[in-house]
Amino acid sequence: MTSDVIASVPPVKNSLLGRMPVVKQLRQSVGLQRGMLIAGLSITGLFVLVAVFAPLIAPYGFAQLRDAQGSFGAQQPPSAAHIMGTTVGGYDVFSRVIWGAQTAVLVIVLAVVFSIVAGILLGLVSGYIGGWLDRVLVVIGDAIYAFPSLLLAIVLSIVISGGQSSLWGGILAAALSITVVFIPQYYRVIRAETIRIKAEPYVESAKMLGASTSRIMFRHVLRNATRTLPIIFTLNASEAVLTLAGLGFLGFGIEPSAAAEWGYDLNKALSDVTSGIWWTALYPGLAIVLSVLGITLVGESLNDLADPRLRGRKRVKAKAGAVSLTAVDQTLPSDVEIREENA
Amino acid sequence: MRDMTPASTFTRRSLTLVAGGAAFALALTGCAGSGGDSSSSGDAIIVGTTDKVTTLDPAGSYDNGSFAVMNQVFPFLMNTPYGSPDVEPDIAESAEFTSPTEYTVKLKEGLTFANGNELTSSDVKFSFDRDLAIADPNGPSSLLYNLDSVETPDDLTVVFKLKSPDDQVFPQILSSPAGPIVDEDVFSADSITSDADIVEGKAFAGQYSIDSYDFNNLISYVPFDGYKGVLPAAESPVQAKYYADSSNLKLDVQEGNIDVAFRSLSATDVDDLSGNDKVKVYDGPGGEIRYITFNFNTQPFGATTADADVAKATAVRQAVADLIDRDEIAEQVYKGTYTPLYSFVPAGLTGATEVLKETYGDGNGGPSADKAKATLEAAGVTGPVELNLQYSPDHYGPSSGDEYALIKDQLESSGLFTVNLQSTEWVQYAKDRTADLYPAYQLGWFPDYSDADNYLTPFFLTENFLGNHYDNKEVNDLILKQASTPDAAERQSIIEEIQAKEAVDLSTVPYLQGAQVAVAGTDVDGVTLDASFKFRYAPLTKG
Amino acid sequence: MTTSLLPTDAPSVVAPKPKSAGGGLGRYLLIRFLLIFPTIFILVTLVFLLMRTIGDPITAAQGGRLTAEQLQERIHAAGYDRPVLVQYFEYLGQVFTGNFGNTISDNRPVTEVLLTYGGATLELAFYALIVAFIVGIPLGMLAASLRDRVPDAVLRIFAILCYATPVFFAGLLLKLVFSVWLQWLPVAGRASTRTELSMQTLPNKTGIYLIDAIMLGNSTAIGDVLSHAVLPGIALGLLTAGVFLRLVRTNVIGTLGTDYVDAARSRGVSEFRLVRKHAYKPALIPIITVIGLQIALLLGGAVLTETTFEWKGLGFQLAAYLAARDFVAVQGIVALLAVFVAVTNFVVDVIAALIDPRVRY
Repeated sequence: MTSDVIASVPPVKNSLLGRMPVVKQLRQSVGLQRGMLIAGLSITGLFVLVAVFAPLIAPYGFAQLRDAQGSFGAQQPPSAAHIMGTTVGGYDVFSRVIWGAQTAVLVIVLAVVFSIVAGILLGLVSGYIGGWLDRVLVVIGDAIYAFPSLLLAIVLSIVISGGQSSLWGGILAAALSITVVFIPQYYRVIRAETIRIKAEPYVESAKMLGASTSRIMFRHVLRNATRTLPIIFTLNASEAVLTLAGLGFLGFGIEPSAAAEWGYDLNKALSDVTSGIWWTALYPGLAIVLSVLGITLVGESLNDLADPRLRGRKRVKAKAGAVSLTAVDQTLPSDVEIREENA
Repeated sequence: MRDMTPASTFTRRSLTLVAGGAAFALALTGCAGSGGDSSSSGDAIIVGTTDKVTTLDPAGSYDNGSFAVMNQVFPFLMNTPYGSPDVEPDIAESAEFTSPTEYTVKLKEGLTFANGNELTSSDVKFSFDRDLAIADPNGPSSLLYNLDSVETPDDLTVVFKLKSPDDQVFPQILSSPAGPIVDEDVFSADSITSDADIVEGKAFAGQYSIDSYDFNNLISYVPFDGYKGVLPAAESPVQAKYYADSSNLKLDVQEGNIDVAFRSLSATDVDDLSGNDKVKVYDGPGGEIRYITFNFNTQPFGATTADADVAKATAVRQAVADLIDRDEIAEQVYKGTYTPLYSFVPAGLTGATEVLKETYGDGNGGPSADKAKATLEAAGVTGPVELNLQYSPDHYGPSSGDEYALIKDQLESSGLFTVNLQSTEWVQYAKDRTADLYPAYQLGWFPDYSDADNYLTPFFLTENFLGNHYDNKEVNDLILKQASTPDAAERQSIIEEIQAKEAVDLSTVPYLQGAQVAVAGTDVDGVTLDASFKFRYAPLTKG
Repeated sequence: MTTSLLPTDAPSVVAPKPKSAGGGLGRYLLIRFLLIFPTIFILVTLVFLLMRTIGDPITAAQGGRLTAEQLQERIHAAGYDRPVLVQYFEYLGQVFTGNFGNTISDNRPVTEVLLTYGGATLELAFYALIVAFIVGIPLGMLAASLRDRVPDAVLRIFAILCYATPVFFAGLLLKLVFSVWLQWLPVAGRASTRTELSMQTLPNKTGIYLIDAIMLGNSTAIGDVLSHAVLPGIALGLLTAGVFLRLVRTNVIGTLGTDYVDAARSRGVSEFRLVRKHAYKPALIPIITVIGLQIALLLGGAVLTETTFEWKGLGFQLAAYLAARDFVAVQGIVALLAVFVAVTNFVVDVIAALIDPRVRY
């Protein structure tokens, strides 16, 4: 653990990605791969920093329409008072972009925590116990998987919040609907991993030694199976941002005076763009693209580093482990669904 | 920008079309689109819209998109001629009360449908009977509340037997979504007839007949020369294109891919297009209104709250009326595509007043925090009033979020209110609003027929669709009285009286009236937006 | 090896015991086939129950006009206030007799809805896949052969940007550049009105505009349809291309590390030639399985693309019917999607099993 490596990592990352073995991967990486990882970490770190310090950075509140000088006015071009202009509703674009990071981070954190907990539990139980329970769960997972996920998210956002769009109602609805869509994916990965590890000799031997079933599951299987999670985590996080934006686009966003949300702002700005008003769409659009880019870069790099074939060539021989296959094999198809969210 | 004050744009027989700041008036007195004959052989005019059709069958739909199509292809007994809010006999020779409960309509002779079938009194009876018999959940049968039965003494005479006498609204109902006349040989008497069967059967007898029909994508209309009603014959074939996204509609009309865009461009789009030389923006009076409804039980100091107090509750509603800055909403959020509304009956309709303008705010239509403060203090309300305000994010257009954020801001910046704003998805909203869950909430209204009654009866009778526990016996009786007052002047004065009384009660606080906006290429003539609130394709010509 | 992709997870349900590989391909296929039915059944049930919890079509359509009593009357007349189980069994009965009913909100046979919009979606998916193939596969191979060099990094960032950009944002930019500014391509829609009208006259139109235009035998119509396909095809195709690019890159790099490629490398074959001649084909196998999945997802999910480009397809229509709480239509469309996805998954699994026996355990 050399100090220069640690210094190059934004400090905030540790609080958010605390459980991720990122530092190790950073040490492993070389050349461009390290560049991509560092770029991803920097963007993600910036994203989180902005979210945490939004109240200090943003010059106005996300729902503020006027200050001492009077009303801001709608669709004002960028000026000294409003460096990114104002929206069609008369909000300050810059402030809403900044506050939007907070909403996005909240949704990501909730969605990821919920999906991880539910997905892992189901995957572990299903994979370890097997039998009918396993088959039924797999079929249900497949069924949910077959439903267009954005539409499932819409239905769930109605069910969960009764269609209300208060701050927490909106955030919870978005987070939970993303969760339901993603549980099958965590579930599949964890289940496959559990089945694989279950057959490993050390689990068998633990059983022989009289360890209880739950003990085996939580000690051995969980510890091994969660090695692939950081990668899914980043994919899940970027999909959360895109799903939130998609929900906003289809009219299921969060009410603008309750929170700032990029997808909602972008949706409202669509007709501005065709009228030559570029500033209302550009910045929230860029914010979405950048945050997803940052998180995905981290995910991609971690994926590469987890796989000896994809890791920088000089290191290929260094560490070919059991983790590798599952890491690649299961993250790639997840990409397929990322796309679909956004389609 | 566009100086569309309702008073200037709205006169009975003429209609003002204002485009991009350069106002010009086009008088339409029954001969719209003069000299349009030469162009009728030319290309079809393409009209784009984001409206949606649900079904062509009049018994099965009760929405703007479907009614817009019906207005082109089905005849009515009564209809509003171009430029007027009042109805006249359409395919009828005459229509009048022959006794207090008998409304007799005489059809014109030799009427036919586009398929060659004769249009007789039996088709008329069939049309209304099936409406009531089917009573489709999505249908307009509730508008025929006063119809008891229909009789046909001969082929040209129809007698409507009414339940309550001297119903002045009934002629208007005949022009409403419950009024289209359909072909008994094509339509089913007891179930909704499919669009395909209607188009294939050519069961049309309005200004147009439908030539080709691709559901919610493309409808091709050809003029029907057998139509002999009150409206002039159609000028040229029209193709109606249906859009999902208004920004595509905007780009297509801007690029000249379509000739006319009608309903609904965003305010930003309209504003941008009004500065574009290639298109003209037309404004006309709109029947659509927006208002805040108060629930008399659950609003602050409402009847079922802990600190119930009728005077305080009234003061709260009046303070809201004092504080709302209608001009700011109309300009900032809607860029003039909506105009301030100062009464319950929208400007332009016979009997409309501007009673709220004098009564509330600064007396000139602007807000007044001092007045609101005085009103609240007089009633003994101290400290900021906490108001839970609800709106639907999309049912009344995508700008509702901005609209209500601004209302919240206006109420709060006076220091007199603390507003909790919340939006709810439409279906839940529609359920919750009548379940007493919302103390104050947004609603909008699009009229069934262009008469003041349609802005009073559904709202302020004791039994009203708002379900907000408003009950004023006096208002209730006046509303019933105006509906059966045959004398026009007397009826108008009652309507004015109702508005004045309602202005004190403020069961609702109306604040915006939607303008009809159409955008057309500069080579298109005859765009007609009038107080019938029906957009007709027939006068359109392309030069 | 890289063939144990997500879709191939499913088979492990069937034979979780690793040692019973002797079950045979036939048995595996049969069980895998039978699993299609519970999947569809569960989905249909799920959708049925969900739809009953989020409101009814009558309130959705008339809630702003009628009194609470009138609404209740109409809901009662339509039978939506009966116990959910009663409605559910009635629905199952109808489905088993092949009666999908008429949509509630616009009174059209569900089968007609499925055919009309399914055709449109199929066509869009087809264009998107072409773009994805043309862009994703060669660029993925290029990135693999130049791995860890600057062009590789650029291509990978391009791939990420492809899906990091919300399609309604990307679509809008494409429209502004190619339709408004350059005026090369139409703004939106599937064909111009003239073409659509002449296609309406076809006696046996398919709803797939390209085929209809070819049947018309009119080169202007074909050109018109194709020009309308370019932007939506690109917008949706690029999203898919991003996935393909990453997939091809990863798998080609994977096969580049295998023994027989190493052998070729030791004979002095250039890296680019290695990719083209040796590593390409085995890398395509997992891609084929993903494509199957991709088509299934494209058919159900392209709501945003369809809305952005006025491409009236299943996803767009499903969103509209959902807003209208049209139980019948939503259930019908979801049932079709379920069948399609389940069958595609089945086919993908079969292909995977045929290619790689390990999948069967």
